[in-house]
Amino acid sequence: MAAIETRGLMRRFGRHTAVDSVSMTVPERAVYGFLGRNGAGKTTTLKMLLGLLKPTAGSARVGGVDVAADRIAAARKTGALLEAHGFYANLSGRENLDLTRTLLGLPAAEVDRVLEVVEMTENGRRRVSDYSLGMRQRLGLARAMLGAPPVLILDEPTNGLDPDGIADMRRFLKSLPDRTGATVLLSSHLLSEIEQTATHVGIVHEGRLVLEGELARLKADQAPEIALRVDDAAKATRVLRGHDLTVVAGDGGLIARLRPGEDHDAVVAALTRAMVGAGVGVFAIGARARSLEGIYRQASAPDAVPARSKELA
Amino acid sequence: MLTALIVEARKLNRSLALLLAVAAPCLIGVFIFFNMLRGKAPMAWEMWMGSSAGIWAFFMLPMSVTALTALVAHMEHGPKAWDHLRALPRPRWTTYAAKAACVLLLVAAMSLLNLAVTWGAVRAAATIKPVLEPTGDLALMQHLTVVGRMWLAAILLTAIQFWTAMRFASFVPALAIGIGGTFFSVVATAAEAGVFFPWQMPVNMLATEAWRVNVALGLGGGLGALVLILALSHLSAREVR
Repeated sequence: MAAIETRGLMRRFGRHTAVDSVSMTVPERAVYGFLGRNGAGKTTTLKMLLGLLKPTAGSARVGGVDVAADRIAAARKTGALLEAHGFYANLSGRENLDLTRTLLGLPAAEVDRVLEVVEMTENGRRRVSDYSLGMRQRLGLARAMLGAPPVLILDEPTNGLDPDGIADMRRFLKSLPDRTGATVLLSSHLLSEIEQTATHVGIVHEGRLVLEGELARLKADQAPEIALRVDDAAKATRVLRGHDLTVVAGDGGLIARLRPGEDHDAVVAALTRAMVGAGVGVFAIGARARSLEGIYRQASAPDAVPARSKELA
Repeated sequence: MLTALIVEARKLNRSLALLLAVAAPCLIGVFIFFNMLRGKAPMAWEMWMGSSAGIWAFFMLPMSVTALTALVAHMEHGPKAWDHLRALPRPRWTTYAAKAACVLLLVAAMSLLNLAVTWGAVRAAATIKPVLEPTGDLALMQHLTVVGRMWLAAILLTAIQFWTAMRFASFVPALAIGIGGTFFSVVATAAEAGVFFPWQMPVNMLATEAWRVNVALGLGGGLGALVLILALSHLSAREVR
C-alpha cells in the first residue's frame, strides 16, 4: 500500500486551475521530493492531502484513508510542517509543542522526545519570539513529529536555514525512514535539495505532475549525455547535428543528448573522429551523468509530455 | 471540548487578554470612585451599582467584547496558525467553540469583577469621605441577577463580533462593527427600537418595562445562541486560504 496516493486530484480557484489531475504515488518509507517552481501547485496539493482544501475533483488517500471521507482518521497518520508555522510568539517553544501535544492527547514526555530529535532541548524554554527562522523551522519539524506519525508532509522544510542548517536538515530527513519508519513528502523549489535528500521525485509544472518515479531509476532510465569542450562551438554543433543529436549549450561547453539505448562509447568515438576530421579542436569529451536539473528542465519544458518513470523504462 | 478549552486558556498566558479583562472593569470603578467623591450628600447603593451596571452594559461590555474577540482571533490570524490547527485530527468546531467559550467566560468574569470593583470603589470613597456613606441595602443578589441577564443578552453581540473577528484575517471589519455598534448604543440609548439592536440588548436589562427586558433577553440570549451555532458551523466548514 502506498503511504500517499492521489488520483486525478484537481483544484480550481475561480477560473484558475492550481492543481490539474495530479495522480501521485508515494511509496512507504520513501523520501518523496515534490518539486516545482513557486506557484506550480505544490502547496495546494499538500493542503488537499491535509484536508485543508477540498479537491474540485479526484481523491487523495493517506495511509489508505480517503482524506475527503475521513479527514480526522487521515490526519492521525500525518504530521505536517507548513510554510506558515503558526507559533504563538508569547509562549516558549516547549509551551507551543505542549499545546499541540495536549490537543493530540499524547503523554507529556513526547515533547522532550521531539525536542531532543531536532536538538532543541536547550532552547525549549525560550520564547518563540526570540527564535531565529531556522530554530522555528526545527521547532515546526518537532511539532510535526509529535506522536510519531507514519507520514510527514513538509512544505519547504529548509526555508530560512543557514548552510549548516540545510545540511543538517538534509541528513536528518534522509535518515528519517530508517530511524522512524516514516514516509516523508517534502516540497521544494530547490533542485539540489531534492536531489540530495529524496529517494523518489515528483515534478509538478503549472499544476500538472509531469514526471514521477524513483530518482535513481529516473536518472538511469534517461538517455545519457555527452559533455564537450571545444574551440569552435558553432562548427562542433553542425557536426553533432549531422549525427542526429540534440545539442544544447551547457556550463562552459556543449551537451549532446543521446537517444535511449544508444551505445555511449560508440557515439563518443564516432563524434571524436567526426569533429577532429572537421577540424574542431576537442579539449574534453565524456559522459555526463544526468542530473535532476536536466530531468527537471526536460520534464517542465513547454512541450513536455507528462510521463512516469515506468513509461520511460 | 474541555481539552480545547484548556489549550485556549493556556494560549492567553502572557497575552494582553488578562490585562484587558482587569482594566475595563477597573476603569468603571475609578470613574465611580471619583464621581462619588465629588458629591456632597450620600446616595443609595442602588444608584451607584445601577450607574456602574449601566456604563458596563452600554459601553464597556460591547467594547470589551470587540477587543477580546479580536484578540482571541488574532492569536491565530497573526502567526497564520489556522492551517496547523485545522490540520490536527480533531473536529474543527471544537477549536472555534473553545475560543467562543473563552470569550464568554472572560466576559462573565469581567461582569463579576465590575460588580466587585464598584463595591470596592464605593467603600473606598465612603472611607475617605464618611459623609458619603451609601444608604440602603446593597441587594447583591439583585445586582448579580441583572449582571447575569446582561451577560445572557450580550450573547448575540458577542456571536456577531466573534464571527466577524474569526472570519476576517484583518481586524478592521470586527473593530468597525464593534465601534459602530457601541457608538449607536451610546448615542441612541433611549431609542425605542434599541431593544432590537444587539449592542443595546444588555443595557435593556435595566429597563423598567418588563417587555423590554424579556424581548432583549430572549433575542440576545436565544437568537445569540443560534447565531453562535451558525458561526461555529460556518467557520468549521469554510476553507481558510
